[in-house]
Amino acid sequence: MANFLVWVVWVVAAFASLASALAVVSFSNPFYSALSLIGNLASLAVLFLLLSGEFVAAGQVLVYGGAVMVMFLFVIAYLGDKTEESPWSGGPSWQVVGAVLAGGAILAEVIVVVGLKAGNFLSSPQPIGRSFGTPAALGRLFLTDHLLAFEVTSIVLLVAAVGGVVLGAHARPVDEPSPESHART
Amino acid sequence: MKAAAWICLLLPLASTILITLAGTRISRRVAGYVSTLTTMGSFAAAVVAFVQMVGESPEHRGHLTTSWTWLAAGPYHFGFTLLTDQLSMVMMLIVAGVGSLIVAYSVGYMDGEDEERRYFAYMSLFVFSMLLLVQSGNLLLLLAGWGMVGLSSYLLIGYHQDRPSAVAAAKKAFVMNAFGDATMALALFLLIQQSGRLDYAGVFAASPHGGTIANLIALGLLGGAVAKSAQIPLHTWLPDAMEGPTPVSALIHAATMVTAGVYLIVRTHPLFENAYVIEDLAAGLGAATLLMAGLIALVQTDIKRVIAYSTMSQIGYMFVGAGLGAYPNAMFHLMTHAFFKALLFLAAGLAIHAVVGEQDIRKLAGIGKLMPFTKVVFLIGSLALVGIFPFAGFFSKDSILAAALDRGWFGVTIFAIGQVGAFLTGLYAFRLFFIVFTGEPSAFAREHFHSHHGKEGPLSMVWTVGALAVLSCIGGFLQFAPFWHPLSTWLDPIERPLAEPATWQEWLASGIAITAGLAGIFVAWTIYAAKRVKAPRAVPLFERKFYWDELYDVLFYRSAEVLTRGLYAFVERPLIGGSISAVSGALGLGSRELSAAQNGLVRSYALALASGLAILTVVFLAAR
Amino acid sequence: MRGPDVQWYVVLSAILFSTGAIGVMLRRSPLIILLSVEIMLNSANLLLIAFSRLHGREDGQIFAISVMAVAASEVVVGLGLIVALGRRHVDLDVDKLRTLRG
Repeated sequence: MANFLVWVVWVVAAFASLASALAVVSFSNPFYSALSLIGNLASLAVLFLLLSGEFVAAGQVLVYGGAVMVMFLFVIAYLGDKTEESPWSGGPSWQVVGAVLAGGAILAEVIVVVGLKAGNFLSSPQPIGRSFGTPAALGRLFLTDHLLAFEVTSIVLLVAAVGGVVLGAHARPVDEPSPESHART
Repeated sequence: MKAAAWICLLLPLASTILITLAGTRISRRVAGYVSTLTTMGSFAAAVVAFVQMVGESPEHRGHLTTSWTWLAAGPYHFGFTLLTDQLSMVMMLIVAGVGSLIVAYSVGYMDGEDEERRYFAYMSLFVFSMLLLVQSGNLLLLLAGWGMVGLSSYLLIGYHQDRPSAVAAAKKAFVMNAFGDATMALALFLLIQQSGRLDYAGVFAASPHGGTIANLIALGLLGGAVAKSAQIPLHTWLPDAMEGPTPVSALIHAATMVTAGVYLIVRTHPLFENAYVIEDLAAGLGAATLLMAGLIALVQTDIKRVIAYSTMSQIGYMFVGAGLGAYPNAMFHLMTHAFFKALLFLAAGLAIHAVVGEQDIRKLAGIGKLMPFTKVVFLIGSLALVGIFPFAGFFSKDSILAAALDRGWFGVTIFAIGQVGAFLTGLYAFRLFFIVFTGEPSAFAREHFHSHHGKEGPLSMVWTVGALAVLSCIGGFLQFAPFWHPLSTWLDPIERPLAEPATWQEWLASGIAITAGLAGIFVAWTIYAAKRVKAPRAVPLFERKFYWDELYDVLFYRSAEVLTRGLYAFVERPLIGGSISAVSGALGLGSRELSAAQNGLVRSYALALASGLAILTVVFLAAR
Repeated sequence: MRGPDVQWYVVLSAILFSTGAIGVMLRRSPLIILLSVEIMLNSANLLLIAFSRLHGREDGQIFAISVMAVAASEVVVGLGLIVALGRRHVDLDVDKLRTLRG
């Protein structure tokens, strides 16, 4: 019974993520695309929960959904209505065909690669204890085995913050582009 | 004696260096005197060495002195070695003696020229090089002297730098001599391979007797001798070399340098005796040359060219002598020829100098009436050339022909050719004499003749010519084969001749030769002096010098030109030029095509990324 | 509780990834492109978490958290660029933004 429930949740969440992903790339209004992405993030959080990644699921919703997407929505609102006609057009004629082919190839390859390499191994997950995926366990790992990643990530965040400030600073009056910069191209 | 030999060699070198370094600080006259005095000093040293050598016993007359090891490379050691023996003594005396007379003559002849100092430096350089050649103790040093003599010849022929014909003649002489140098070098390589050394004793001992290697060695040396001595087929440079000043023609192209080939054959005669085919070839070439040159001389209209062809012809006699193995006879003729040929050139120089440098015999006709002294000495020279008793040529030339009789039918053929040559010699020599020095002076001569303060030339020119005339008169008496032969005896220890004619052969040869010579003189007199018979029309074959120049032009120059043009059109332009432009074209094309991928569209970059990822994954999977 | 095996998560992640890739390659607005990139990142995160569960170790989850932090930084910079473009009234169309061409 519990297994059946898990399966149902999984299917619903999977479909929701697929549908929202398709919606993101299909809507012409960026506002709708952003909202679809929020739906995608939520369904993925459910999937994380099914995989006993509680902390990660919570982080996903809080950080991704709460911060990143909010920022997205702010910017979209700031920029105004940028609905574009025919979002799929433009570019060289082979663009669409090529994109679909490439995407399809990647899809097939990932499945083949992982299937080939992993094979039976994929069907036997290791048993886990109650403390799997808890903040305590993750925190311990962050501060011992993966300390370097932890520190480097914090530096990356610092850099991004500085970058954001620089990019968002009040635009100075744009001078006439000097002749040299044009001639150099 | 060693000191005397070294002084003899080095004095002219000192003169060259001195004149060169002093440059314009010394006057032109002084340069001439320096050169003359050093050459005379050289002759004096040679005489001293000669006297010392006379005092030694014949077996011990060869002296080798090495001053330093010149070239040491692995197992090969070549020293700067001088060899002073009987043969080199003869050459030293001739070179230094005749040389000093000619250099003294030049002081007067070249007076007023723009670059006398350069001339005298080159003359001293030449004397030094020639002495180095004849005194060298090993073949490597001989080759060095050989090359330097060629260099001096080039410098002196091209002395009048502003005349394109002179410059071209100098180049021609140098290039043909370079060919001979190359064959000589190849022969030296073979010798080193055979014996590992180049000194005469070692080389003679180790060279094989007969066989291909011996023939090749002798052939290589013969090639060098033929080039230097202007024999067929490398003879075409000598007439052109008359572009140089007359004393240069006298010294280099009559008395000394062109005889270096004969000296080489005589010096390395064991090598030639090991390859008797080549020796016979040398004699054959000499015979052919003396005949051809005699015929060409009959139709020449430039006084110096007649004498030049005469030189070629006489050296042909020397080659015959050396090729037949009659070494002392060849050397004797070399000596007498130096006397009378230099005399002829210098006397002609007197005439040329007096008539504003004109050399055409038709314009110089009859100058003898205005220049009696010159007429007399020229007559002496001509008689010596034809070989009339008691003048010098009689004794030397006939003995060579006599030696030819000793060698079977080949020798008899050569004997016949030599006698025909004697007839021709009489003919062309006296044609020249009768046209230029007898009869009424031509209008040109009368108009342009100017005497030198009442005399026929400056003192320096007159006394040297006179000295040479005396030598031409008495020099022959050094060796009168049937009766006394000190020269043969002198050379005997090192140059054992292969052919020793009997007395009856000597008389036969002399008799026929004198008759032939007198017949030639008579015919010349009939045509040109008494004018009883009209001169025949010049045969084009003789006038065009037997078409040798044209042949070489086609063989070497035109074929090289065709080859270069063909190579340029078919190889250089399409292949080399084409390949370079193809590479650059391909690069341009490729970069133009590739730059189309940089279209600035983010989406296509993303597509490229994704496609690349897809493809690479497959590649990595497949290569697992 | 069992639930689907990891293969299912692999397939799902692959489909999400390709969808995001196609979105990057085919949309013209830089905002949507950024959103598609987010989809791709999330699909990778999903795969990481799935395999972390398979191995019974939390290293995958650590990785996923780092990925999230980096994705956030990237969005900051990307949006900053887009805002700067918008302020200068430049058309937000990647086909028109092509001065970096060769």
